[in-house]
Amino acid sequence: MSWVRRLFTRKQMEAELDKELRFHFESQVADKIRSGVPESEARRLTRIEFGGIEQIKEDCRERRGTMWIESILQDVRYALRQLGKTPVFTTTVLLTLVLGIGANSAIFTLVNAILQKNLPVADPGNLVRLGDANDCCVGTFIPDSGSVSYFSTDDYEQLKKNTPEFEELAAMQAGFGARPVTARRGGTDEMARSVMGEFVSGNYFRTFGLQPEAGRLFIDADDEPGAPMVAVMSYETWRHIYGGDPSVVGSTFLVNTKPVTIVGIAPRGFYGDRLFPNPPEFYLPVETMPVLANVTYVHNPDQQWLYIIGRLKPGVAILPLQDKLSSLLRQVFAARKKFTSTSDQLFLSKIHIAITPGEEGIQAMQEWFGSQLHLLMWVACLVLLIACANIANLLLVRGMGRRAEMSVRTALGAVRGRIVRQLLTESLLLAGLGGIAGLAVSYAGTRMLLMLALPGAKNVPIEAHPSLPVLAFAMGLSLLTGVLFGVAPAWIAAQARPADALRTGSRTSGAGASLLQRGLVVLQVGLSLVLLVGAALFLESLTKLEGTDLRLNSKNRYIVHINPQTGGYVQTQLEALYRTLEERFHAVPGVTKVGIASYTPMENDNNGWDVFVQGQPYLDVEASRIRMNAEYFESVGTHVVMGRGIGVRDTATAPTVAVVNEAFVKKLFKPGESPIGRHFGIRGPTSSGDWEIVGVAEDTAYTNARWKDHAMFFIPLMQREPSLKEPIDKDESLYAGAIVLETDRPMDEMEEVARRTLAGINPNLTVVKFQTFEDQIADRFSGERMISRLTLLFGGLALLLASIGLYGVTAYSVARRVPEIGIRMALGAERGGVVAMILRGALIQTVLGLAIGIPVALLSVKFLRSQLYEITTADSRVMISAIVTLVAAAFIAIIVPARRAASIDPVQALRME
Amino acid sequence: MKKTDDRFDLPQGTLDLLIMRVVALGPIHGYAIAQRIQQMSRDALQVQQGSLYPALHRLEYKRFLASRWKPSETGREAKFYELTATGRAHLKAETESWSRLIDVVSLILKGTLEGI
Repeated sequence: MSWVRRLFTRKQMEAELDKELRFHFESQVADKIRSGVPESEARRLTRIEFGGIEQIKEDCRERRGTMWIESILQDVRYALRQLGKTPVFTTTVLLTLVLGIGANSAIFTLVNAILQKNLPVADPGNLVRLGDANDCCVGTFIPDSGSVSYFSTDDYEQLKKNTPEFEELAAMQAGFGARPVTARRGGTDEMARSVMGEFVSGNYFRTFGLQPEAGRLFIDADDEPGAPMVAVMSYETWRHIYGGDPSVVGSTFLVNTKPVTIVGIAPRGFYGDRLFPNPPEFYLPVETMPVLANVTYVHNPDQQWLYIIGRLKPGVAILPLQDKLSSLLRQVFAARKKFTSTSDQLFLSKIHIAITPGEEGIQAMQEWFGSQLHLLMWVACLVLLIACANIANLLLVRGMGRRAEMSVRTALGAVRGRIVRQLLTESLLLAGLGGIAGLAVSYAGTRMLLMLALPGAKNVPIEAHPSLPVLAFAMGLSLLTGVLFGVAPAWIAAQARPADALRTGSRTSGAGASLLQRGLVVLQVGLSLVLLVGAALFLESLTKLEGTDLRLNSKNRYIVHINPQTGGYVQTQLEALYRTLEERFHAVPGVTKVGIASYTPMENDNNGWDVFVQGQPYLDVEASRIRMNAEYFESVGTHVVMGRGIGVRDTATAPTVAVVNEAFVKKLFKPGESPIGRHFGIRGPTSSGDWEIVGVAEDTAYTNARWKDHAMFFIPLMQREPSLKEPIDKDESLYAGAIVLETDRPMDEMEEVARRTLAGINPNLTVVKFQTFEDQIADRFSGERMISRLTLLFGGLALLLASIGLYGVTAYSVARRVPEIGIRMALGAERGGVVAMILRGALIQTVLGLAIGIPVALLSVKFLRSQLYEITTADSRVMISAIVTLVAAAFIAIIVPARRAASIDPVQALRME
Repeated sequence: MKKTDDRFDLPQGTLDLLIMRVVALGPIHGYAIAQRIQQMSRDALQVQQGSLYPALHRLEYKRFLASRWKPSETGREAKFYELTATGRAHLKAETESWSRLIDVVSLILKGTLEGI
């Protein structure tokens, strides 16, 4: 019989064992009777000779070789029965574990996925990045520290040529996220899509050591000027949009209306050189960018636009290489004669390149979410701490409550080790169940967090399922808590001399709950207060932010983002295009206003310039520029407060005019000084006559709600500065980025209407992004909303857990003191007095908890300040609301057991013994 | 009760050997095995239930013994053990090694005595 079968035929085996031993016993008795001993005496003697029959059975079971597994099963069965007998305890512990573990592993999954994710490339450890910041996207900006993080094409080539320390040095477009391409498959009637396309150097894929999924990846020859235009498609796009069609490789796609051959498919799982909500669908060689994207900066040695990642040769030391790169870059900069004055020379000497680890790629997303994720991690840790304290408390209560049971079992001959093992099984079972359920919660939780963090993201390359380390972490934590706090009281209980424990019985007038238990409750209350204050602060911050008067009107407004540049329009065709857009959209029934602008309020875009006002010294004020048509102000709800707005007559050939906002006036003109009729420019002191101010508009929020007093100026769509030497076909600023439609009623079909209207003008004119104005504004608060919701969630969780803890300890001490209370009441104590006695004890713990929590909460505001909007301290309103909430919850948790204490019938209580 | 000087502790594994030897004579139940060992050893060995049954179960688990329930001489059902083929081979091997051990041990013990 195999041991597996023995396991399943356990009942039968037990019966047979019993029968066999009984047979032996009866035979022995029969023999004794036969030799003349009376039956009762024969039985007595045999019983003595036999010894402990159960012990023999146990030995037999052990010899069968299934003992260990049987006893575990027995333990588990017994543990389940025990847990089933106390459903409230079991549910509470499980719930606590589920919430604590679930919240934690959800956060850690996200942290793991975002902050610690290596690029899915060969040997990521050898990759380094040149630069330590995410300066973006195109420009000449170098921070005061002199650390350069993005480079011009010329910088890249010079560095690459002179550094044999790198096996490969690859360059990639810094700001592809802000510059989608329009693509559709050639020879089909497929709708053009606005997608992410990233321009990269020819050795990009080689640097990452990647193999194509199909076709080939780039070779250096693809990135030569004049080479045939090619592209590599991402696996995701190939698989999900083109169904893995092998004929995609070698076929022609129209990228920004220009024919490009797809030479291959990037490997599965490769999401580019950085984590990004919308990873690139097409990779294109840098040298094809001037043609495909119609941009001028690719070959402008002063315009920085590339990030650089390199693969080090083995054994190359970082620091000397860093010095070498820095001096190379200084030479390159000096050779361009950009630095003439002494202050320039000083700045040049500070120019350097920091080499940073490249195994996680460009750290853009990490930077956006880092501080929020770390905050959430802290919050989740606090909740876990509270949860652990709760479980510890509950298990302690239970362990102490079972002291008598343990004593009886010890007295009956149970081995101490066996008792501890039984309790261990119980705790592990509980912890294991809680851990597993917690993981389920964390799975859902991670999804929820991702959705909250990145609304509307397509193909986020972040896996929402917990990875192995997170699984191990969560389970380990769960088990550790269970073992630590489950076995400790068990051990103490088993240690007790059974006689002592049995003698003490249930008569006790002690305080009931131990100092440790009450200490844990105090800790819980304190931590909960900290979390509640945090939640209240974030809620207040969000309310303030959302309540900010943006001075916009979003009712029945729709924002259609477009990109005429990728649609194949050259600058000279734009004026006609804008006229057509206005006409066609006005022809749509319901549309009342058609605004066209470079970008719109409350979107993630900005175009800042230094302003030079004619006839006054340079004031170092940065103002943001928006090109707009005549109906734009009305379409977003901006009011002109002085002078006039931009009109239909302000065409390319009309005199150059500008409307500025109130902040512009406040920052650049003296109080009372009228700006109307004054002139300013943005291209140095000599340009200060370029724009004549004809009107002043209200301050409205662009970029985000925190930018309330940012200087802005608005100019006609097609007007160019008289001082500008650059030919019109190099002026990218003329491309409008958005159409704002105001309608006389809500129009759900507007997206489709916009798509059709644009396609009717030109099939290559696509909708880059469509949103209602309300959604666009709401999106700018999503980060704050996520933090606020989560801290509120965790604060509530902490409150719930602390209440459970308080309830548990109070209920336990009431149960322990039933006889004492009985005696008190028999001696004449009032019910009210009993309630007060119980309340007093529990409220002292609450107050002590508050005494710890309040200073900690006040202190922690300091660390949150950077993430709060216009809040610097926890004001009395926040503190009082948090304290009141906590005390109210505590009171409810205490009053239930206190009332139970008051309802004790003295006669019954005394008879109980 | 037996006098202590008549009894001795069995060396490890010897009980298994004795049980198998007794079972080799034909199917037999636990009580009879104990009786038979006592008888054959002329009352020098008395196997306690506490050692007998665990040993029987161990031998059964190792598949040296097989068991069957059938009526005993008194008519009550009893568990009868018999030797399996493996058990028989094991008994033979063990008996041989036991005899060799006895021979070697007594050879040495005799030698030592002569030397004194």
